[in-house]
Amino acid sequence: MNPKTYHHISSNPSSVKSRFTRGFLRAFKKIKRQQRLLPTSSSSSSNPSPRPYLYGRVKIAADKSLALAVGSRRAWSRALLWKIHYKAWRQRSRFNNKKKRLKENKKNKKKKKNDDEEVGFRHAKELRKLVPGGKAMDLCSLLDETAHYIKCLITQVQVMKSIDQIYSF
Amino acid sequence: MDPPLVNESSFSAANPSSYSLAEIWPSPIHGAEAGLRMGNLGHGFGESSGHRDGSMEESTVTEQSGGGGCGRKRRDVSSEDESSKIVSTTSSANDLNESNGKRTKISGSKNENGGSKAEAEASSVAGNKSADQAINLRSHQKIIFMREKISERMKILQDLVPGCNKVIGKALVLDEIINYIQSLQQQVEFLSMKLEAVNSRVSLNPTIEGFHSKDLGAPPFDAAGMIFGPQAAREYAHGSQHEWLHMQVDGGFDRAT
Repeated sequence: MNPKTYHHISSNPSSVKSRFTRGFLRAFKKIKRQQRLLPTSSSSSSNPSPRPYLYGRVKIAADKSLALAVGSRRAWSRALLWKIHYKAWRQRSRFNNKKKRLKENKKNKKKKKNDDEEVGFRHAKELRKLVPGGKAMDLCSLLDETAHYIKCLITQVQVMKSIDQIYSF
Repeated sequence: MDPPLVNESSFSAANPSSYSLAEIWPSPIHGAEAGLRMGNLGHGFGESSGHRDGSMEESTVTEQSGGGGCGRKRRDVSSEDESSKIVSTTSSANDLNESNGKRTKISGSKNENGGSKAEAEASSVAGNKSADQAINLRSHQKIIFMREKISERMKILQDLVPGCNKVIGKALVLDEIINYIQSLQQQVEFLSMKLEAVNSRVSLNPTIEGFHSKDLGAPPFDAAGMIFGPQAAREYAHGSQHEWLHMQVDGGFDRAT
């Protein structure tokens, strides 16, 4: 990436890249603040908890900010946001009701049906697993969403690499 | 008195004609219904139906030929399909030799197009056949349309994924795409882990300033960064470093210390 291209990108504040960087940095800062506060509280209470909520928080924040930057016009971003919300909700209610979770798992297993395999794409099944929300799409929209998802993943990797470079300097 | 007489005469003259028309028309209307059916058939087979009366006769003729061919086909079940087709066409031709020659061609082609389905359901109504054919055609067109769309999308994806233009074959292209997405997702995961490690380092040493923690965390990150070939990202960082630092250091590290 040349500085020229970066300048071009930074001049466009509504692009996915700049919106993602802004959102991700904000979320990153928030996580850092919470992590800074948390060890002191655990040391004061002398009960070091395993911190289940904080594991993989940066990845969740990255995914969420990417999906928010893309907006709700794309199916994969909607699915990703829904997945994140659902996971958070499940983590919150994990200790309350385990039986409900089992029931939901059974329901999800029943719902799984691959119906447009007649076009000749056996590998589409694997693609459906990778692209968020791909199980509910037909093949055309799946490929469309895949193209957009790849573009967004490339920008995500670029931005995260640059942030990492700044930290490692 | 003349005009009414004339009117009466005209009415009387007109009424029989209208009655005669009303008497004449119903049978063509019945013929037209049959002709419409046959028109559907003709569209299904990709042919154009002729006159209504002609199509009416054709329908009767084809039914006859179907009835006639049915008995012969039962004999020829053991033989091949082609021979049975020939038999059916010859039987229809024999029936139609009494009528015009043009219709023999049409019915013969219809029987050929009908194929084994027509042989299996020769005694069934022609409407069922046409409906089946229309559904088949529509689904076929849909599949062709979908394939065109899918090939367009695949071209776009091939342009997106590096090293995918040389690959031939949809399955291999899809494999490449899947591998590329997996690698990208793994990269994202790895980068987020790294950033989390930075986080934890910063959070574990709250007394140390942010720059010291950076110095502490530098060597493993560089070693890890060598795996992924960080040159492009480093150039990118060079271009954007000042702005990043303003955004991050002013926001984060000053508050952290």
